[in-house]
Formats: sequence, structure tokens, C-alpha cells
Amino acid sequence: MTSESSRRTLLRGLALAPFLWLARSRRAESRDYSSPAEVLGTIDSLEADVAGRLDAIAATLASARPLATSFLADHARHRRVRATVRERLRLAGPPIAGPPKPAPSKGERALDGLRAAQEALVYAHAEGLPAIGDPAAVDGLARNMIDLARHLAVIDLWLEAEAARD
Amino acid sequence: MTDRTLPGTRREVVLGLARAAGVAPVVLGLLEGTAQALPRGESSDIAILSAALALENQAIAIYDHGSRHNLIPAGLRHYAVEFRGDHLGHRDTQIAVLEERGGKAPEAFAESAVRSVAAGDDWIRQALTIEIAAQDAYGALISQIRTKDYLLSAAFILVDEIRHMTVWRRVLGLKIY
Repeated sequence: MTSESSRRTLLRGLALAPFLWLARSRRAESRDYSSPAEVLGTIDSLEADVAGRLDAIAATLASARPLATSFLADHARHRRVRATVRERLRLAGPPIAGPPKPAPSKGERALDGLRAAQEALVYAHAEGLPAIGDPAAVDGLARNMIDLARHLAVIDLWLEAEAARD
Repeated sequence: MTDRTLPGTRREVVLGLARAAGVAPVVLGLLEGTAQALPRGESSDIAILSAALALENQAIAIYDHGSRHNLIPAGLRHYAVEFRGDHLGHRDTQIAVLEERGGKAPEAFAESAVRSVAAGDDWIRQALTIEIAAQDAYGALISQIRTKDYLLSAAFILVDEIRHMTVWRRVLGLKIY
């Protein structure tokens, strides 16, 4: 277990000063991962969720296809990085992909759902890095996170543009 | 694994800003690609924290200067306010971590030392440059961080820097995906 130390430090930080930056999101209640295998397994699952949502949006919205193609190409590269990390840390490979995720509920706007799923994927990387324990593996996953944080920012800009049109 | 060194021109920009900000030679070596790793110890975290704080101070000064001299287009000021707030949060968080480790925070970057630029796109390019430098620096240094609490904070800081960079790139019409 990585212990509660990271969470405690963040919370202690919140008590020390008006850290609105940390308090702005769920960052103050970050998840503590127990092992690199748990981090990588979580990332596999969240990435599949994002990919399913991107596919669904691209299937109904032609203008979203270049974006989906670009993001999914990054995912493919990220999976290769994770395979290298697993090899380096002598971990078993990812489980064989299960059945496709159920479609998002009807009340949920597709883009909002994609944003939430993308944020969860970015946060899993950020919260998972302290559990990795190997500088080269941290480097690889951090570089994946940089791409994914950019994807999240692009989705935010898309949402802002949609809101401005409404 | 990915190459930790940065492309030539971009590396020069990052190094120029890092040198101007007084970043320690041991960290400059890593950013230059002449060092592969920092020694694994508390002193490395302190060197990284000092480098990061120097860049955060420079970013805050650029946003302050832009705001005070009306260099930021009206429709984009909300981004500048948000990003300045992020940089203040990054600074305060890292000062707390640094002081907890017995380090001393570097001096704030004097706003008077910010290079004067024209309003509009020129200022946005200046803001983008510091955001790229911050992203490159955190990206290059994050794997060298020894302590888990600081690694977690640095990861979230890096996520913010990428958002800032992506927004300014979009505003300037540059590729974002």
C-alpha cells in the first residue's frame, strides 16, 4: 500500500493555506493505489471506456472523426508504453478485453460523459505515478499523461464552444 | 522508454528561461540532456522544487504584467485569471513542500524584469512560451522526484500546465490534436 501519506499531505496543505487550486476538483481526495499492477489495470479499463465513448461520438458526428482518430492513435501508442512498463516491472499482461461497455445512459450528454471519463483516465495516471516506484516507468506513464491531459483540454474547449453556441 | 531530452530550439527556450530564473546547474544538466538522472535523495527534490518555483514565479509575473498593462484581449482574460490562479496554487503548494523539507523558497520574479511585448498575440505567445517551458520542465523532471507526496502534486501541476498550453495554442490557431 502506498499508505495514506499522499492524501494526508494534500489535506494538510489544504489546511495550511487557501489552496483553491487543489480544492477545485476531487484532487483533495486522491486515490491511493497499492501496486503498479493496480494502476495499470485501472488505466486499461478507463482507457477502454474513453475509447468506447470516442467511437460512439465519431459514429454519429462526422466532424468528430479526425479528433477521435488522433486520440485513439495516442491510446494505441500508450498501450505499447504500458506493455514496456509491465515488461520492465515483470508484471502480467493486461486481461483480454471483455464485452463492450454498455452505452451511456440516455440522460447523459455524450460529450459530458466523454469529459468525465477522460478526466478519470488523467487522474488515474496522476494518482498512480507515486505507486509505480521505478523512474523509467514513471517517465513513460507521465508522458502518456501529458497526451491525455491535452485530450482533456481539447474536450473542455469543445464543450466551451458548444456552450457558446447554445 | 521515451527520450527525456527536448528538441533543439524548444530546449534552448526552456533553458534560457530556466537560466534566467536561476535554476540549479544539476537540474539544468537534466533539462539540457547532459545528465541522465539526479542523485536519488532529498536534495534532488529540493533542487527540483526550487527550479519549479522559479518558473512558477516567472509565469505569475508574466500574467501580472499582462493584466496590469492591458495586454490580454478582453475575451481571453478569464483564461488569464484562471491560469494565474493555478500558478499561484502551484507556487504555494510547492513552497509548503519545500519548507517542510527545510528548503528556502526563491525570491519572486520581479514584474519589472518581464520583457515588454505588444498586446494581443504577442502577449499570448509570451504566455505560451512560459507554459511550454513549465510543461517541458515538469515533464523532464517528474520521474526524478523521490517523495510520493511531491510526485502526486507535480503530476497534477503538470496536468494544469498542459491545459494552459493547449488553450493558448488553440487561441493562436496552432495544432492541438
